Amino acid sequence: MNAATTSLSNRKGNIVIHLFFVLLSVAIIAPFLLIVSVSLTDEKALAEHGYSFIPARFSVLAYEFILQSPGVLLRAYGNTIFITIAGTLLSLLLTSMIAYVISRRDYKWRVQLTVYIFFTMLFSGGLVPFYILMTQYLHLKDSLWAIILPGMLSPFYVLIMKGFMGKIPYELIESTKVDGASEWRIFFMMILPLSTPALTTLGLFIAFNYWNEWFNALLFIDNDKLVPLQLLLVRIMNTLDFLRNNSQYIQSLGLDMSQLPGESMRMALVILVAGPMMFIFPFFQKYFVQGMTVGSLKG
Amino acid sequence: MKRLRKKGLPALGLVLFLAACSGGGDPKPAASGGSSEPASSPSASESGQAALPEVKLTWYYGVAQVPPDQQLIEDEVNKIVKSKINATVKLKPIDFGSYTTKLNTASAAGEEYDLVWTANWAFNYDENVKKGAFLPLDQLLDQYAPEAKKAIPDFTWDATRYKGEIYAVPNYQTVTSHYGVNVIKEYADKYGLDVNAVKKFEDLEPFFEKIKQNEPGIIPFMLVGPLTKFQPIAYGYDDYGVKIGDASYKSNALEQSSEYKQFAEMMHRWFEKGYINEDASTVKQIDASYNGKFAVSIEYAMKPGYEAEIESKNGGRKIVGIPLADVTTNRTSNITTLTAISRTSKNPERAMMLIELVNKDRELYNLLSFGLEGKHYEKLDENTVRVNPAGGYTAPNWVFGNVFNGYLIEGQAPDTWEVTRKLNESAVVQPTFGFNFDDTAVKAEAANIAALKAEYEPLLLTGTVDPAEYLPDYLNKLKKAGSDKVQAELQKQLDAWVAEKKQQ
Repeated sequence: MNAATTSLSNRKGNIVIHLFFVLLSVAIIAPFLLIVSVSLTDEKALAEHGYSFIPARFSVLAYEFILQSPGVLLRAYGNTIFITIAGTLLSLLLTSMIAYVISRRDYKWRVQLTVYIFFTMLFSGGLVPFYILMTQYLHLKDSLWAIILPGMLSPFYVLIMKGFMGKIPYELIESTKVDGASEWRIFFMMILPLSTPALTTLGLFIAFNYWNEWFNALLFIDNDKLVPLQLLLVRIMNTLDFLRNNSQYIQSLGLDMSQLPGESMRMALVILVAGPMMFIFPFFQKYFVQGMTVGSLKG
Repeated sequence: MKRLRKKGLPALGLVLFLAACSGGGDPKPAASGGSSEPASSPSASESGQAALPEVKLTWYYGVAQVPPDQQLIEDEVNKIVKSKINATVKLKPIDFGSYTTKLNTASAAGEEYDLVWTANWAFNYDENVKKGAFLPLDQLLDQYAPEAKKAIPDFTWDATRYKGEIYAVPNYQTVTSHYGVNVIKEYADKYGLDVNAVKKFEDLEPFFEKIKQNEPGIIPFMLVGPLTKFQPIAYGYDDYGVKIGDASYKSNALEQSSEYKQFAEMMHRWFEKGYINEDASTVKQIDASYNGKFAVSIEYAMKPGYEAEIESKNGGRKIVGIPLADVTTNRTSNITTLTAISRTSKNPERAMMLIELVNKDRELYNLLSFGLEGKHYEKLDENTVRVNPAGGYTAPNWVFGNVFNGYLIEGQAPDTWEVTRKLNESAVVQPTFGFNFDDTAVKAEAANIAALKAEYEPLLLTGTVDPAEYLPDYLNKLKKAGSDKVQAELQKQLDAWVAEKKQQ
């Protein structure tokens, strides 16, 4: 009797939980389905009926138009993948190196260096000096390095990494030294393998930052061959919004709005941009989750 | 050496600091400082015009989308530019969405470029003139671009003047604003609306009522919140609140006028009756859902042939335009598209020659605007083209130069340019034309007032709220924000401007 009621209340609890997650999933999936549907709807039908889950008139014209010259999209993918991989590797290397140095108890200037790194977290030079540095001193305009370099070192990540590395017993380093290892060897053969959990966690964050990066690209990239994926999207969205908000001028100027991608084409582009990532993500997900949990157990 | 370096570093810092600050203070020293070096070169190049040294120019301008064939066009453009003024130009089209952010940063950082497109709605002309981002052009214009200068009426040039100097060359096109309403022709015919009898908004009321009763699902009067403005010219005021014909140039606060109150009350009455769309105060643009689903909307720029242009945006329904005010021209409509020369330009005189060339040479202008014949467009007759949207090159013709030099687009009447030009020249020039309010002295107040306006106007002017309650509240808040102070400052500047004008 008693057991039956518990199982019943259990089942009730299960139903509530299941219902909650079903609703949550619907809330996440529905907007995406709407985008898919809009991208497959005839542009004129959109103007007449607005958005709907079932296309009023089916059309794949938007995809045809974009895929007519897939070069732009593929190149943008290539750029983003290169930026993400190169940026993440370099960033991890740099972050761990600095973090290691300031985590070593026997380094004389560790406090000063930590304060210096912390300081950059609170104060920044501002946009214009940053722009001057990048374009007039480093001459990085129209180069993918303009996107990779600024994201390479984040003080916040350095401090997280330092926290992790500080937990590695100093005696370990000392004993390795006694065995005759050089500083480089200690770092690459001892410290880095021991820091794998922290490296994967930070690597995930850094990779996401690079994948989503568009502002530096907007500032520094003029050459169309170097445009990363997100900038491609941001450009289209921004321009449409901008033209809409300034429509009183546009109308008087007589800009032909038909030059702009229509609703269905924007949505098709969203799918083509986001799609591959969404298929890849589930396969990587388990590693991500692992990395995160291991990273959080460092204390 | 070491000491020198120590001294040099702060000095460098100072220079950088000054360069960064030159925006805040008086723009003239910065501007003339930039031009002092090249000012000597025009005289030198004048003597040897035949042997112009080769230079490279950079030209930033806005486009809706960077076209795939950009490089091809640039090469073709350079063939012409090289042969005529021995220069090559690097074209840098930027999408409008990024344009302001990108150019503001580049300009603040003192990046080197020569020509730059500017307007009152993107990469703001007035702000950048005040910051000293552009070179004053009077002398260069007279010397290197006489034809471009001649082709544009004086009042348009006056619109670009800041403290008496021209800072940009207008890309001459429609400079009039003409306020009125668009009525979907189908409904106007069906309910016997006498288009010629409508002289003011009130005359439309019976028509709204018929639509409301007989056409379910159709919005009788479609309004777009942030765009819906009280149009002073329709009520006998000019844009600075001066009554037209008032010789004393007394500026009135429009919000306090009885006309403003009546307008808000009328809109509210209509809103209550359900003539106006319920989301009028927030909706940003004639959204897809409203396409063709309304009977009347407000139009701010009725120009020759605009009905045909707008048809496609209304779900293919034909419209009739009804003007509710005189054709007028104000400063704003004259500075919607301009080309300036950057303070950082190394070759301002050559940049000016390029402006002259684009405005004079039809081949170059049409190449920039439409691309290559046969590939990007087909010629329908001598002056009309059909643009091939999938051809790989499209650009807005009004960012480059005088549109009257260019081809017409299919569907535009052959006499479009003549009609437009006549309209430009016959428009009512507002009494305060050329006056430009400088709000630096009352910056904080002006910002507060702008915020209040953005909050209250869409609500009041679309009739969404009851003016009996909200209008006094609005006026009260405006007063607290310092509207009187701004009004006094405006009047002071206006008086000074009138006095200066009388002297001339």
